Amino acid sequence: MSRKNLSPSTLKPPSNLPPRSTVAPAPPPSQPGNADGLMGDRERHRILMVCDFFYPNFGGVESHIYCLSQCLLKLGHKVVVLTHAYGNRSGVRYMTHGLRVYYIPWRPFLMQNALPTFYGTLPIMRTILVREKITLVHGHSAFSTLCHEALMHARTMGYKVVFTDHSLYGFADVGSIHMNKVLQFTLADVSQAICVSHTSKENTVLRSGLPPEKVYVVPNAVDTAMFTPAPEIPRSNDEIVIVVVSRLVYRKGADLLVEVIPEVCRLYPHVRFVVGGDGPKRVRLEEMREKHFLQDRVEMLGAIPHSRVRSVLISGHIFLNSSLTEAFCIAILEAASCGLLTVSTRVGGVPEVLPDDMVVLAEPDPVDLVRAIKKAITILPTIDPQDMHKRVKKLYDWHDVARRTEIVYDRAMKCPNQNLLERLGRYLSCGSWAGKLFCLVMIIDFLLFRLLQLVQPANDIEEVPDMVMALGEGSSAGDDIPGQSSRRWSTTC
Amino acid sequence: MGENSFAHRKYMYFHDQKYPHEAIDIHHIEVQSNGAKRVFLSLLTAIVVGNALYLVLTKEKSVTLLFSSFLLWAFLRKLLLGKPVKKESVVIMPTLGIQLETLYISGRITRQFVPVSKILKPVLQECVTPVTCYWSLSLVLREEEELTPVFKELRPPLKMLIPVWKALCAATGEGSSHSRTEDSGDAEEGVRSETNP
Repeated sequence: MSRKNLSPSTLKPPSNLPPRSTVAPAPPPSQPGNADGLMGDRERHRILMVCDFFYPNFGGVESHIYCLSQCLLKLGHKVVVLTHAYGNRSGVRYMTHGLRVYYIPWRPFLMQNALPTFYGTLPIMRTILVREKITLVHGHSAFSTLCHEALMHARTMGYKVVFTDHSLYGFADVGSIHMNKVLQFTLADVSQAICVSHTSKENTVLRSGLPPEKVYVVPNAVDTAMFTPAPEIPRSNDEIVIVVVSRLVYRKGADLLVEVIPEVCRLYPHVRFVVGGDGPKRVRLEEMREKHFLQDRVEMLGAIPHSRVRSVLISGHIFLNSSLTEAFCIAILEAASCGLLTVSTRVGGVPEVLPDDMVVLAEPDPVDLVRAIKKAITILPTIDPQDMHKRVKKLYDWHDVARRTEIVYDRAMKCPNQNLLERLGRYLSCGSWAGKLFCLVMIIDFLLFRLLQLVQPANDIEEVPDMVMALGEGSSAGDDIPGQSSRRWSTTC
Repeated sequence: MGENSFAHRKYMYFHDQKYPHEAIDIHHIEVQSNGAKRVFLSLLTAIVVGNALYLVLTKEKSVTLLFSSFLLWAFLRKLLLGKPVKKESVVIMPTLGIQLETLYISGRITRQFVPVSKILKPVLQECVTPVTCYWSLSLVLREEEELTPVFKELRPPLKMLIPVWKALCAATGEGSSHSRTEDSGDAEEGVRSETNP
């Protein structure tokens, strides 16, 4: 993985402006009037979200899909999620506010990804697209094989397609090269694409060869109702607690932690560390604790369930993020929402997330990180957690993300319909031999689709009756814990 | 036959109203056979078998070719004709129980009786397989882990299942028009969804 920031030309936004990016990729500045004009004749979309990663897994992509779906449901659209079966959890499940989730029984084979059989998922996807009367397919995460297959089949069947990329990826090693080729194939014919930061947009455009006009930047958000700071209690100014919550793997900078923690503990006797999370690098951290006799100053909590992350965060004053690569970093946003001052490595999209006075940045180097922690400790008395929380609440909101995503959907629906021959031209331009291979794959997919239409005509697939909520919807997406609410229903056939 | 009947694609639904429905209520779902498909299949049979025999006897190809062509014929037959079921019936006797019958093309009938005390609830649910997704009507029985499907071989459309489901609910005393849908995280079976058009 590349350690350096992949876009040296990306500037940090001026500190007096909120760190949000314009929705329209074209040079003119964002005009609020545009959004209002589009709201007037808003059409209701029926969206299929596809990704290998969804509840009961917990992570950035999973919570992004869930929160975005809930906010889109509030706006009046219909959302259905498609993912693979998790253990016994297979079939159709309903989540809060009528979010249907299809757990199709394809076994995951590697890193929670379903087996890529190219054409195997075509029948079930076609059935779902017809029975739910879907108008638009939204795929997430370049690492998800189900997403790539769904986007390919959706294009063959003529649906409009949107893709969201959640991570940065390298260019140099063999794995990256293959991954980028697959991405190039998928994105050759996508209607629109969304990235979570400007850095991520540059990375995606370079990897896939997509024209930049097609890529929109819609940052993630955080559930500020769930991540609130500790209530006003007098802080003991003697002891400072630095919190680290991340997976302890190489790309999250666990090796940097091993160098930084003993140094900081040596310089500041009144500083304590709390490390939450688990992973292959945990062993190194335990060794570091033993070697420097820091058992009473470094507390290792192990894997933390998502519902307990907030209580761990509010026990600290400073949040340390040492990732080596991040497209966006929801973790520091959660920390800022809880009123913690953040120290982070200046990689990827991290500089775009928080204003200058809420974060202290450093190069991914132990010496520079220690310097940044020193600076953070000196400015810590000036931080007011409640004020920080209020600012983050104004800056980041999932409803705003949903509104901006809706604008992308409207633009995607306006894209012209193209038949197979016109689309094949785009695939041919992907490469000298890769282009021909992609064309062959799409032609076979098209033929299989036609065969399927003969064997099982679309009229034979019944449409699912829409479920309508009988009670009023009062709660926001943040209040409901997924899977634990029950509502009264009625349906209209 | 009955007063209430409608058709959808290859299925035909009958509601027998000869008897008073408090005593006995009968619903049938019949498969309409497609004459053209049968003719086509017989032609195909003749071609495949004839070709295989010709190759084996005159051109001295191996006998495995004959077997593989039989396999191909069997596969095509299954694909075109589907299951050999003529009709499935549900006989509802509110005081006694439910009788599920399957009538095959060959004339064979299989029956299953479920006493009314054993039935907990009839449910409509969506079944997802690796290649398709369809609605099915099942009975949840007391002290049994598996659901009992009402229509074992056929997959009739939802609008045929709904009157049968309503009749089953009335017979087993479930008659509520609004129903709860819960997201059960650890349920063995798929989520039950009850519809009310």
